[in-house]
Amino acid sequence: MEEKTARIFDIGRFRNTDGPGIRTIIFFKGCPLRCLWCSNPFGLSPKQQLVVKFAKCTGCGTCGEVCTQGVNQVPEGGKVQVDFSACTLCGSCVERCAAGARMLSGREYTARQLYEEARKDAAFYRKGGGGVTLSGGEALMQYEVAAETLRLCRSNYINTCLETSAFAPWAQLWAVAQYCHTVFVDVKHMDDARHKALTGVGNGLILENLRRLCRELPRRGGRVILRLPLVPGYTDHLENVSATARFAASLEGTPELNLLPYHDLGESKYEMIGDSYALAEVESRKGRDPRLLELQALCQETAPKNRVSLGGDAIQLD
Amino acid sequence: MATPTAGAALGNELRAGTVAKVGSTKRIQELNGMLHSNRPNVDITRARAYTKVYRETEGMPNLMRRYKASAEVYRSLSDNVYDYEQLVGWPTKRIRGANFAIELHAHWLAEDLPNLRDRTYDPFEITDEDYKELEEDLLPYWKDKTMAVQWGHYVTPEEWDRAQFGGVSDVSNYLCANGSHFIPAWTEVIQHGFVKYYEEAKALLAALDPNDPASIDKRIFYNGILEVLEAIRDWGERLSAACARKAAQEKDPQRKQELENMAEMMKRVPWGPATSFYDACETAWAVCFFLFVEGAGPSITWSRFDQYMYPYYKADIEKGILTPEKAMELIEELYIKVTSNVWFQSTQMAYIFGGYYRYPHLDVGGLDENGKDATNELSYLCLRAMRYVKTTSPAVSILLHQKTPDALLYEACELAAEGMGHPSFFNCESLYSMLEHRAGGLHGYSNYTRKDILKFGSPIGCVEPGAEGLQYGHTDSGIINVAGCVFAAVTNGKKATGVDGSLCGEVVTYESGAPESFESFDAFYEAVKGQVKYAIDECHANLLICEKLLAEQFNLPTFTILLEGALEKAVDATAGGAKVNIGPTMQMVGFGTLVDSVAAIKKVVFEDHAATLAEVADACMKNFEGYDALRAKLIAAPKYGNDDDFADDIAADLWKWFADCTMVLKMYRGHYCDAAIQMVQSNVGYGAMTGATPNGRLAGQPISDTMSATQQADTNGPTAAARSYGKLDFPAYTNGTLLNMWISQSELLAQT
Repeated sequence: MEEKTARIFDIGRFRNTDGPGIRTIIFFKGCPLRCLWCSNPFGLSPKQQLVVKFAKCTGCGTCGEVCTQGVNQVPEGGKVQVDFSACTLCGSCVERCAAGARMLSGREYTARQLYEEARKDAAFYRKGGGGVTLSGGEALMQYEVAAETLRLCRSNYINTCLETSAFAPWAQLWAVAQYCHTVFVDVKHMDDARHKALTGVGNGLILENLRRLCRELPRRGGRVILRLPLVPGYTDHLENVSATARFAASLEGTPELNLLPYHDLGESKYEMIGDSYALAEVESRKGRDPRLLELQALCQETAPKNRVSLGGDAIQLD
Repeated sequence: MATPTAGAALGNELRAGTVAKVGSTKRIQELNGMLHSNRPNVDITRARAYTKVYRETEGMPNLMRRYKASAEVYRSLSDNVYDYEQLVGWPTKRIRGANFAIELHAHWLAEDLPNLRDRTYDPFEITDEDYKELEEDLLPYWKDKTMAVQWGHYVTPEEWDRAQFGGVSDVSNYLCANGSHFIPAWTEVIQHGFVKYYEEAKALLAALDPNDPASIDKRIFYNGILEVLEAIRDWGERLSAACARKAAQEKDPQRKQELENMAEMMKRVPWGPATSFYDACETAWAVCFFLFVEGAGPSITWSRFDQYMYPYYKADIEKGILTPEKAMELIEELYIKVTSNVWFQSTQMAYIFGGYYRYPHLDVGGLDENGKDATNELSYLCLRAMRYVKTTSPAVSILLHQKTPDALLYEACELAAEGMGHPSFFNCESLYSMLEHRAGGLHGYSNYTRKDILKFGSPIGCVEPGAEGLQYGHTDSGIINVAGCVFAAVTNGKKATGVDGSLCGEVVTYESGAPESFESFDAFYEAVKGQVKYAIDECHANLLICEKLLAEQFNLPTFTILLEGALEKAVDATAGGAKVNIGPTMQMVGFGTLVDSVAAIKKVVFEDHAATLAEVADACMKNFEGYDALRAKLIAAPKYGNDDDFADDIAADLWKWFADCTMVLKMYRGHYCDAAIQMVQSNVGYGAMTGATPNGRLAGQPISDTMSATQQADTNGPTAAARSYGKLDFPAYTNGTLLNMWISQSELLAQT
């Protein structure tokens, strides 16, 4: 039988976010949610995709010549225009692009291969408690390979983290989470209707999973960290922030609440896959913005027993 | 966005011409301001002294003339004493001056003097008076006597051209940089002063047996050494008098006292033993600049400063006559003064080594002779001083090992975060291993004892392993542009057209086979190695001639004095007076370009069969014009620096092979050659002389620098790159390796 593979759109080494220390982050392709602010749009579709970095295009016209589907039109003296919907993913334009402006996003890996990738940087994990983080997309959509990857890492003394929406049946979540030192769960909005409006799905399953995860995971030596992305005008209202903090305080073991300042680094990626960004007008908030510090203080007041941290790079080794 | 670092801000300030007055005290700020308000300038004191002596000594033995000239230079040095100074003496009349070696530079300077003030790289100021004297009197005397001209008598014009501008093997650096890369016997000279050598030489001279034929040359040698030492003694007395004169005129009582102290100090050192930390600093400064004036090259090294200075520091602190702040102020003054030494180079070499930087070097940390951690308070002060004074020199370095205290490492990281390129980080394990096998040949034994290595081992200049007082040899001397070699391998020995230098479009190495003749990757790979080996052998032959000339005519008395055992042997440093002779070594430039080119050909031509080697050759010759698709495939091939074994295996093999090729070559002074890979800025100059390469690089673009991956080719982040570099056998490069990695501030974890 052929070994099961997962579709991965990026493996980032030497990252300092989403877990303690120096980390390798594996990005799984495909996500059941459609958060308006998603900063990893390549992770949304579970399928392979053509990516065009228009900034690198020199307008040489080669891609127009090689494409049999007429996807690429290069106007005289201008940059290429791409009809992404007609692409059959044959890859011939990628191979021929001298400017290196094209790639196919999404490559198959077995769990063993992913573990081998993670293992490469083992020497660098040691000092700061670094390791591997599964992210995405949503890793739980390919939970079997995700679980096996983390099992291999864990049994080889590599620190393991999962960053998830927890929007999956409990059994699938647990299959992966059981091997984790840390599971990050995003709570995007406490109001079910707003949650649906912002992400495409309700929050019932997520909150239920979270309650159970906070009960189960610490028994296996893992921890849960709640994450709230603070998207200005969307999730950072006082009532939502304090509701999230109250919810965090009500959970077993009072898990850490990690507030994520909004950034727009994902915006330019939408264009590369022929999509557009919904929150183009929202401005990024830098790390020590006084408003962010206020919200952090508010959370700490509401949930005095929980650790409240600010920023994706603020995760400490427990 | 990361905010600009303090170092970057300072750089902008310097470029804008505003004076950078930084330092821990008012005194240092003023001295730093004085340093930076001067532009690099030419001083002809040394040239004048040399010319005078050589005119007066026609017909005398070479060594005698040379030693007399060195003594005359010391007798003619300026006795300027400036405000705020505590350490005394300057190598030049004006700050940031170059007391250049006319006997090495006259041939090109005679042609290029009119451009010196506004040439593109490293322009120098010169007064009209000095200009006139150079043009009319000094240069005409020397222009057909320099080392480069004499070297030309031993080679054909074609060989001369190839070795200077062929762009594959190059010895031009060696022709103009005699006397460099040296760690004098610091511990000894500070502890005993020059008087020790004077008495030693006198005794040895007295003991000569005139009926022994060996005594003939020895007598000349000792008499010359004594004359040089007397000149050094007189210099101290002259400077002492200058301080006393200035003290007599000084109104401010505090400064008056300082000047009187300086006058007293100059009566003690550097001639006699240092009695305090202050004295020891003065000796450290004076010896450093004597060597920079006598030698024409770079890298006079303070080596393990925190070790040999510590006894003085500790004693003074215990006596209560010194505070850490005061000690740091003296260290900062040393940094300012050593920065004042600018490197004077030919227009051709400035194009490759530009930037005036003369590579002085200072180390902290490391192990002591018993293998214990050697860190002390001075280690911290030396790092901290650089954070205050922010000068380009010396290259402050930390010698790391398993026992390095975290606190020192953090102090070093704080300095690194300033963004000025300080400190360098050295791994003692690799450094000691390189030193152990230094110049011993591929199958040879170590030249050093374990104790020599632990107690005296340290990097010189950029990175070359050396040992205090034990080793002599110019290191960055023979240069092999391996990117040019790979171009030659695909084009049957040619240099590209339309690039810099001479011989464009001609065969510059040998014909290793037409591109269509290679039937397998292995056959092509042999041709690549053949081209590199050809360049190494050609370079070696040229270096032997240089070495012979140096030993016969370009002797270095002050270097010799400061080498352990050289006086007893009565052999000059250039002729093999050192305990361990090294160099000239083979420097590899463009390693990343070479590896990526070979990997690209292996993948595209011999594995994917997506193009023929003849097509690649044509594409390289035509700078990829009309070959966009092929270029894309070559660029997409595996690249060194990404933790990809396809490229890294080729890297590891070529790496070791290059070192082995050099380590079997016997040099003029009887030792073996060794390999290095550490050229910092020359990749731009050699890139301009190199045609398009099979890794997709366009003609004239910079080739890869040091041993680092090709620019922008290492796309998997610093950990992947580090793993690639980790696959190479570092200690095989016994003359040192250098790796440049740039990491953006946002990628670094905050200190917790």
